[in-house]
Amino acid sequence: MTALLLAGVATLAVGMLAPSLRSTTGLALPAQAVGAALLAAGGVWVLAADAAVGAAFSSEIRPSLGLDALSGFFVVLVGACAAPALVAGRDALRDSPVRRPLAVLTGGFVLALAGLPAARDVTTFLGFWELMTLLPAAAILVARRERAVRDAVFVYLAVTHIGGAGVWVAMLLLAQHGALGGTLAPGGPAALVTVAAIAGFGTKAGLAPLHAWLPRAHPVAPAHLSALMSAVMLKVALYGLIRVLFEWTAPTAAAGYALLGLGALSAVGGALYALLQGELKRLLAFSSIENVGIVVLALGAALVLEGPWSAIAFGAALLHAANHAAFKALLFLGAGALSDAVGRTDLDRLGGLLRRMPWAAGALLAGCAAIASLPPLNGFASEWLALHALLEVAAGDATGQALAGAVSLAALGVTAGLALMAFAKVAGMALLGAPRSAEAATAQDAPAGTRAALAALAASCVGLAAATGPLLHALGGLHPAGGAPGPALAPALPGTGGLPPLGLLVVLALLTALLARLAAGRGRTAAAPAWACGQPGDPALAWTSAGFTKTLRLVLEPALRPQREVTTRTRGAVVTEIAHRAETPHHFDTLLYRPALRASLRAARTARRLQSGSLRLYLGYLLALVLVLLALVRLEVLA
Amino acid sequence: MSAATAVAGALQVAGVALAPLAAGVVQHLKGRLQGRRGPSPLQPYRDLRRLSRKSGVDVAGSGPVYRAAPAVVAAATLAALLVVPVAGHGPGWGLGHDAVTLVGLLALARFATALAAWDTGSGFALMGAARDLAFAVFAEGVLLLVVALAARQAGGSTDLLALADAGAGAWADPSHWCAALAFALVAIAETGRQPVDNPDTHLELTMVHEGPLLEYAGRDLALLTWAGWARLWLVLLLGVALFAPAAGSVLAGLAIAAGAVALLCAALALTETALAKMRILRVPLFLGGGAALCVAGLAGATL
Repeated sequence: MTALLLAGVATLAVGMLAPSLRSTTGLALPAQAVGAALLAAGGVWVLAADAAVGAAFSSEIRPSLGLDALSGFFVVLVGACAAPALVAGRDALRDSPVRRPLAVLTGGFVLALAGLPAARDVTTFLGFWELMTLLPAAAILVARRERAVRDAVFVYLAVTHIGGAGVWVAMLLLAQHGALGGTLAPGGPAALVTVAAIAGFGTKAGLAPLHAWLPRAHPVAPAHLSALMSAVMLKVALYGLIRVLFEWTAPTAAAGYALLGLGALSAVGGALYALLQGELKRLLAFSSIENVGIVVLALGAALVLEGPWSAIAFGAALLHAANHAAFKALLFLGAGALSDAVGRTDLDRLGGLLRRMPWAAGALLAGCAAIASLPPLNGFASEWLALHALLEVAAGDATGQALAGAVSLAALGVTAGLALMAFAKVAGMALLGAPRSAEAATAQDAPAGTRAALAALAASCVGLAAATGPLLHALGGLHPAGGAPGPALAPALPGTGGLPPLGLLVVLALLTALLARLAAGRGRTAAAPAWACGQPGDPALAWTSAGFTKTLRLVLEPALRPQREVTTRTRGAVVTEIAHRAETPHHFDTLLYRPALRASLRAARTARRLQSGSLRLYLGYLLALVLVLLALVRLEVLA
Repeated sequence: MSAATAVAGALQVAGVALAPLAAGVVQHLKGRLQGRRGPSPLQPYRDLRRLSRKSGVDVAGSGPVYRAAPAVVAAATLAALLVVPVAGHGPGWGLGHDAVTLVGLLALARFATALAAWDTGSGFALMGAARDLAFAVFAEGVLLLVVALAARQAGGSTDLLALADAGAGAWADPSHWCAALAFALVAIAETGRQPVDNPDTHLELTMVHEGPLLEYAGRDLALLTWAGWARLWLVLLLGVALFAPAAGSVLAGLAIAAGAVALLCAALALTETALAKMRILRVPLFLGGGAALCVAGLAGATL
């Protein structure tokens, strides 16, 4: 077990060193992929054996590494997503002028991601935490030099460090009270740790309203890094939150309600803004916020509920994290493949790619169905479980709990509807119909390595769905408070009609095949153009992203406040030019961040007055400080 | 397997054949109420026979998704039929009897329809699909609230068998009335009946559910039309399971179910005659009313 994990780390490290020689640069990413796969295998072993390797948690400042089953699960996530991402990254970076530094940074990022769950003391934890933030920023800056990208990276670093201060506060407080590896007793410090952890880990996980960095940073990274950031980095941040809220402090229902609120906000907000995006990678970034929201909703339910349902909700959260990692890695890598083939990722410029690139587009189509939480795929299975956890909250006897459950439940239902619409749009605009640009009409399918990576991830979406029962059993069992989440196969959970993932898979496949045969019975005549009231079709009239979402935009106008500007230029009485500009501003930015930014700039201007540069004034400050301190000592405030 | 389960299973499958009848009966009654003779209740079967003899027509430029969609839509609807118990019984068919599974299967049908619309690129098809998906955003939220409210009567269970057992005696509880009313609103939106959508429209610009069907012909169209009727049948059966009185024996249960379905068909014909289609942008408000009812019911049930 330990040997396997060490072999994985060593292979990754070798892969990082490979670019130091020009002749071995090409081997860097494949070697790293092998290392990631070894790490995943080691993690599976730890998880399956429910064993602990290496050191145990300690509040001492003594750098150490080790794994238990929960950490093992997250190492599996890191390894299993990194392996296909690195394989696809090799294809994407083949001709890149910066592939050597990028290969080193990518390997370091994977190691940092795997290191965080393995950290066993506060210094290792915080060290890996900072590396996990800084390495992708460095990689983005190496890969792209545009000003807009630098701005995005700056926002990423600024927001994650302001919010990330919460992680430092929480972890150092825990270490100070000796609660790493133990449990902090309820009280003032525990409350502070809880709030700081939710703010700190929540920021990094992309939880609204501290998610502003995510839709900026994820789209500008190279596809394989976007995949790692969205699929894995957000989950590793949730790992910290889980440790703090479930293990290192005593679980409280209040924290659960806070998570339900934040999760509902993230899920609905993320899905809504995802739907409104016209650029594929930005859309996927917003959808990551949505999915983190779903995981956090399930975690909130796990804190509010007790007994076996708490374990089920916990298992549902981890299972959705795994499922999201699978299909979001697939979607980001697929978006990268489309971007390499077509040269852009605006949905209005793709189209018809299922015919041109059947492998990449076919895998993407499966990913879209999975993330839209449709049966029989994995997204449906975990969202089904999360919905049932919330139904259980809504079934509580206390009015507050029942209403909180009902609101979260409705929010998750609305989220599912929005995600369905968003990914129908993605699949429809990017993959189906007629090509929307000349580049899309001549696109070539992705290289073999990328195709294999995409196919493996698409297969994992089916495999994870089929294995829902055993996985829920294993992951629910990781709940620190214990409790059995029910029988292992085909989750026949208490108080539900049962979720038979295999039954759905088999019945739907059989019925579809049968009905398709039936429909094919009479053959088909020559193709005819689509009905347009008898007029010839015109590609310029093709539906756009904005058109598809118009109904919803109009209905939600009071909340979304879309802006629209039409300028008509006339010469004489003849219209010569019409300019149309429409956008739906991101209201977390306009209503929350911009005022906050203005206020802090104003505060900074005020504070600047204190710094006049006059030596006498500074001496005055020192004198005042000494007097205040003396007064405090005199009053015995400072011992 | 008990006899009751076997009978219920047989009737679930028979729903494949009975679904068009319910739609035909509604059309027939509607004609009568509007002072016309109306089509025969058997007209849907004649339509299916006619369509099944014709060949399919591909839309130029469309691909495998367009071709596969009718089978996927019909398969998902058929699977959903197998999930809803009849007269409080059902064999499960390896799918279970959970209310949330049902919601997922209906979503699958909706997704396949929308993808087919994108594959044709037809403006009318996409208009209908976009509206359908936009309404579903609200309808799904309300439907889950109805499930949550109904589940309280069944001790927190979302098992449709348990819900069917518990729904009968709960009428003394005001929250059950809230759930029934909210369910009626969602059912209308989900099945595309007036005042949310007009199933008889031939005007493309007003279409919601019919829009994506415009580009299909022959057996493909037969499958999609059947799926539409089956969805009505399914929602009627679901309403009966959740809110009709339970019976001691299977036979009595069947009689009650048949009577309730007939009653609901008549009620549909009546509302479709009395109510005009509402503005499309008001549909979410209509569904929002359902959500408010559910939250009020839930608050009432716990206070």
